[in-house]
Amino acid sequence: MFSIIRFFRKLSKLFGRERYWSELDEEMAFHREQAERELIAGGMSPEAARYAATRQLGNATRLKEKSHETIGFRGEQVLRDCRYALRQFARSPGFSCAAILTLALGIGATTAIFTLVQATLLRRLPYPEADRILNISDVRLHGRSTGGLVGVPRFFDISARSNSFDQVAYFYFDEPTLIAGTRLPEPIEAAGVSGQFWKVFGVRPFLGRTFDERDTQPNMPEVVVLSYSAWQRIFGGDASVIGRAVTLDKETATIVGVMPQSFQIPGATELWLPSTFTPGGFQNRGDGTRFVNVFGRLKTGISLPAAETDLHRIGEQLRREYPGTDAEWQFGSEPMRDHMFGEIKPALIVLLIASSMLLLIACINVANLLLSRATVRQREVALRRALGASQARIVLQFLTESTLLALGGGAIGLGMAYTLVHAVAAKLPGRLGLPGAVTMDWPVVWFAFAVSVVTGIAFGLVPALRSRHLELSPTLKRGESRLAGSPGGDVRNVLVAVQVAISLVLLVGASLLTESLWKLMKSPLGFKPEHVLTFDIKLPWEASPAGVDEFYANVQRRIESLPGVSAVGQIDALPTADWHLRSNFDADWLPRIANHPAINAEDRHIAGDFLRAIGASMLEGRTLTAQDALAKVTPILVNQQFALQYHPAGSLVGKHLLIDSEAFEIVGVLVNVRGTAGSIGQAPGAEVYFPADGGQGVVGRSFVVRSQLPPEQLTRAIQQQVHEVDAQQAIRNANPMDDLIATSTAQPRMNMALLGSFAAIALLLACVGIYGVVAFSVAQRRQEVGIRTALGATRVQISLLFVRRAMTFALIGVVAGSAAALMLTHLLKSQLYEVQPNDPVIYIAAMVLLMIPVFAATLRAALFAANVNPVEALRAE
Amino acid sequence: MLILKTLQRAPLHGYGIALSIKRLSDDVLTVEEGSLYPALQRLLLQGWVKAEWKMTETHRRARFYTLTAAGRKQLGIELTQFDQMIAAIGRVLQDAQGA
Repeated sequence: MFSIIRFFRKLSKLFGRERYWSELDEEMAFHREQAERELIAGGMSPEAARYAATRQLGNATRLKEKSHETIGFRGEQVLRDCRYALRQFARSPGFSCAAILTLALGIGATTAIFTLVQATLLRRLPYPEADRILNISDVRLHGRSTGGLVGVPRFFDISARSNSFDQVAYFYFDEPTLIAGTRLPEPIEAAGVSGQFWKVFGVRPFLGRTFDERDTQPNMPEVVVLSYSAWQRIFGGDASVIGRAVTLDKETATIVGVMPQSFQIPGATELWLPSTFTPGGFQNRGDGTRFVNVFGRLKTGISLPAAETDLHRIGEQLRREYPGTDAEWQFGSEPMRDHMFGEIKPALIVLLIASSMLLLIACINVANLLLSRATVRQREVALRRALGASQARIVLQFLTESTLLALGGGAIGLGMAYTLVHAVAAKLPGRLGLPGAVTMDWPVVWFAFAVSVVTGIAFGLVPALRSRHLELSPTLKRGESRLAGSPGGDVRNVLVAVQVAISLVLLVGASLLTESLWKLMKSPLGFKPEHVLTFDIKLPWEASPAGVDEFYANVQRRIESLPGVSAVGQIDALPTADWHLRSNFDADWLPRIANHPAINAEDRHIAGDFLRAIGASMLEGRTLTAQDALAKVTPILVNQQFALQYHPAGSLVGKHLLIDSEAFEIVGVLVNVRGTAGSIGQAPGAEVYFPADGGQGVVGRSFVVRSQLPPEQLTRAIQQQVHEVDAQQAIRNANPMDDLIATSTAQPRMNMALLGSFAAIALLLACVGIYGVVAFSVAQRRQEVGIRTALGATRVQISLLFVRRAMTFALIGVVAGSAAALMLTHLLKSQLYEVQPNDPVIYIAAMVLLMIPVFAATLRAALFAANVNPVEALRAE
Repeated sequence: MLILKTLQRAPLHGYGIALSIKRLSDDVLTVEEGSLYPALQRLLLQGWVKAEWKMTETHRRARFYTLTAAGRKQLGIELTQFDQMIAAIGRVLQDAQGA
């Protein structure tokens, strides 16, 4: 109650501020005059009386400030400090710009990386109770798995036997051809999903409805749910699409719903359709059924380890029940967030640490600037103290200035980060590039604000605290001479050492990534990606095997006859495609043990002139021909790694692989083709190449077309040819092979580019920092240099004086930096390709890279000292 | 408390308050006279005194401070507290002497 009255009294004083001051002044003047009059009456001279009265009253400014503190609001003082700080900045625009820009770089880099971290590791996933959603994967006990894909029969086993989940669901990737109204047939990214899929994720549709178990019964009318982006792209965001019929893979389907933009499971899916698999629907449990991604929603109260145990129990049961097919497999699980972003998490953490280091360097630079300025401003501080400013007021003033600088830097940094994120968001690799995946939201803005305030206080604290230990009278007197060991020098040198150390850590990190990327780029691919156009076609699943073969043979012939095309081939999945199909084999040169297949290898199916089109060479034997598809004993190829792993000595040509009772004859061995099952960074595994034709029913195939023609022109010609073969069929993903490889190395290139630019900025800032410190100490020690020169010191000796001191601290920084780098670079291990994180060559290279510009900066500053004219320096006194 | 007590007898201006504190205490309590003014501002803010501009005997304008009802009450509280404290100190000192 009282405080409210007090508040209004203060408020009334705020508006009558002018009057308040004049009244207070008048009152105090009256006091002084009265005292003066009395003193004169007591026999003092008028002049002496005035001084005595003033002394008695005390420091008028201080007293007025104290009165003001009583009646003023706390904010007012901050406001005045801010105004004073802004005047200071305006008076030295060079200093202010340098400080703000330096901070903007540091805060901008940190904010940009934090935007990525926030979007992936922190932001709430757009599914209710997302922490209860698990990805369930199928993992081989030994050797390579199939990217976590689960066999459909095994999914139904989990569904029936698990007691940890409310629902389990699966999806598989499908690539049907859509004909909407009068539009041309267009390829569409789709997912076939089981009935409970929508319940697992619990997201409401944006329009209409989703579907459930009733729609996934066989022979139900076909329904589809559109993604937001497909709805926009194909239907222009027309709300009346619900209930409209479209043609999907030559069958009629009804649009029943549209999902919100935030629902992106799987990644870039444009359309969801009901999958009609039934528990008994698959004849065998073999690896051919292993193509679904499985998710489950945990029951309330069931922990992750409990669910994992439950899944292990089911896996164990299945191993015993189906030793022929399931013996090698177990289930694993991970939370949704790890499934989505687990792979890039280590890289993000490294980048976040790197950007914080950059920010630290920026802070140190600005702290150094402020320290130098504080030395220059000592007189100002002394004057203000003498006029009655308390220590706390001065410290607060300094902190206000540094915080304002940091906020300025933060605002510009935030702007830079926003521009950067806005510009590159769509080009980010993988999931990060999806629309809406990486956006700057309020938490990021608050983060930037908090970082600015904290850094402002942090780098302002050093000069602010130093201002407290200030001898007033010597500072106020001019011309105090400065010799070696001037105050603040050591602090500055230590800061330089820290900068050098951090720069070295960043440089080592960047060098490791560069070396790794270099090794990745120049490691032999096993094929020639230049002048190769690739595209995909997917026929409806229901197409007859003979019809499939005929369609593809027709397309193959037509493309071969296009002018400018030198070779055409087909394969079921291109190198760099994240596509998995593996088989177990026995071999006629290895012992056969029941339920223990001798060989497990990745399968690919090829047709046409695949090897010549992609530019891969044979090591032994012959390649496959069109006639091979019809042979009684199917001829196959294996790769070099297969030969190395399973038959290291002697020729494999003429030997046989066996699946159950069927035999396949190895007719040739080809080189290792990198990236067969995804990343080109992965070492090639054992591979077997079958003919795609011959009733195998390989409905989806990728074409590899070798030609010197421009890709756009070639794509148009091919589209025309495919349209002539089947007017309801479209081609998809037409890309030069070069682009596919670039996409598959996008993540390491982004890491390298980011860390590299951080290191470059850090190096630049460190050089500016060390230059500034040396130059400042030269300026401070001008007279000393003058005396030394006058006493006969040579220019070299003078320069060495400064270089030696700066280099001593730089070297301390290098030693500390190497130690820190050794400890930190193991974080990079998962990002490195054929490079050890403690590679001494890279450390030495980074040190050289660091020390050359640092030495140059030091030398440049030190040479100023050598040029000091002793007469001038001593006269300046 | 001292300011409030001084004002209990009659309204005074700042200089008068300083003078009377000095006189009544026989020059023992002479603080920096100026610090009187921030203190007066605080009392004004608390509503314990009120101020008005009047003419002095020498025909100069001066601000006179008057004790308000709230100020009188506050003075009572503070005097009581002060008495209690003095009494307490006295007891401690006596006890120390007696021991």
